[in-house]
Amino acid sequence: MSRDETFAKVMEIIGRYAKNQEGLEGASEETNILVDLKVNSARLVDVILDFEDEFDIEVADEDADAVNTVGDAVTLIEAKLA
Amino acid sequence: MKSIPRRTRAALWVQREVGRVLSFFWIPASAFALRYVMGYRIKNAARLRKRFRALVRESDEPILICANHLTMVDSMLVAWALGGTWWYFFNYRRMPWNLPEYRNFASLWFARAAVWITKCIPIRRGGRREDVSGVLKRVKYLLSRGETALIFAEGGRSRTGRVQIDALAHGMGRLASSVRNCRALVVYMRGDRQLSWSTVPAIGDSFYVDFEVVRPHSERTGMRRSREYAQQIMDRLVDLEDKYFARRQ
Repeated sequence: MSRDETFAKVMEIIGRYAKNQEGLEGASEETNILVDLKVNSARLVDVILDFEDEFDIEVADEDADAVNTVGDAVTLIEAKLA
Repeated sequence: MKSIPRRTRAALWVQREVGRVLSFFWIPASAFALRYVMGYRIKNAARLRKRFRALVRESDEPILICANHLTMVDSMLVAWALGGTWWYFFNYRRMPWNLPEYRNFASLWFARAAVWITKCIPIRRGGRREDVSGVLKRVKYLLSRGETALIFAEGGRSRTGRVQIDALAHGMGRLASSVRNCRALVVYMRGDRQLSWSTVPAIGDSFYVDFEVVRPHSERTGMRRSREYAQQIMDRLVDLEDKYFARRQ
């Protein structure tokens, strides 16, 4: 799976929880999930659990600590899939 | 959860010991403010404290207090309700460490000093993940040393006035699942005049407090394990709330 494909799937999942739906349109890898897309921290856990289901990976709490931006999420998933 | 650097451990030790020395001032002063300035009263306080002290005597295992959250002084009230005043002088490690929101309690230097003395580690809810994780690691270290900590089961004060299941605090499950033999003490507290959330409870309010010990379990690993731990604690908190409202009717 290419990084662009992973990015698209990540955005689709985040979109389910983002309060700022308009922010999704111009989102890039630098977009902060909590601040820019207004996903609250409780929902961020749901986002990452959805990553687990979608990509068939397992994420530890420590791994999730590094996820601030969309790019961080893509990098984490790619590392788990490698 | 990985351990914390030696320097951080030393800083926590200093914080704890300075707080302990000054506890002969700040604990009675806090209790005085709650009881005589605000006029608060804990219902069945003697029986409640007897239960809590029996629980402490039962085992040295760490206790993570997981409470509902309606006002900004809940952590003070819970600590006072469970341990009273003088008992903490002799059982200082059972005075819970708290995680107040940085913006509410630690943005000014004197507030920072006050929370530092009173066993608090400010946290920025919804802040950078690494920062939140750093605070949780410190609490995990303290719990693993037999200290007591208090965390709210909800990510903030309940906006509905009832336990907010959809605001489940994942950090609570993460702590409970990562500390060996950790007991989760689920505490439900509510003032008679507390209809919804507020900054402080109404002056002169009387508080119903109940608690239960939970030992969550899960066959899962990773974040799902932490989630299941948090969910089991939350479920018990909802049971305690249902019990409270059933008694009121």
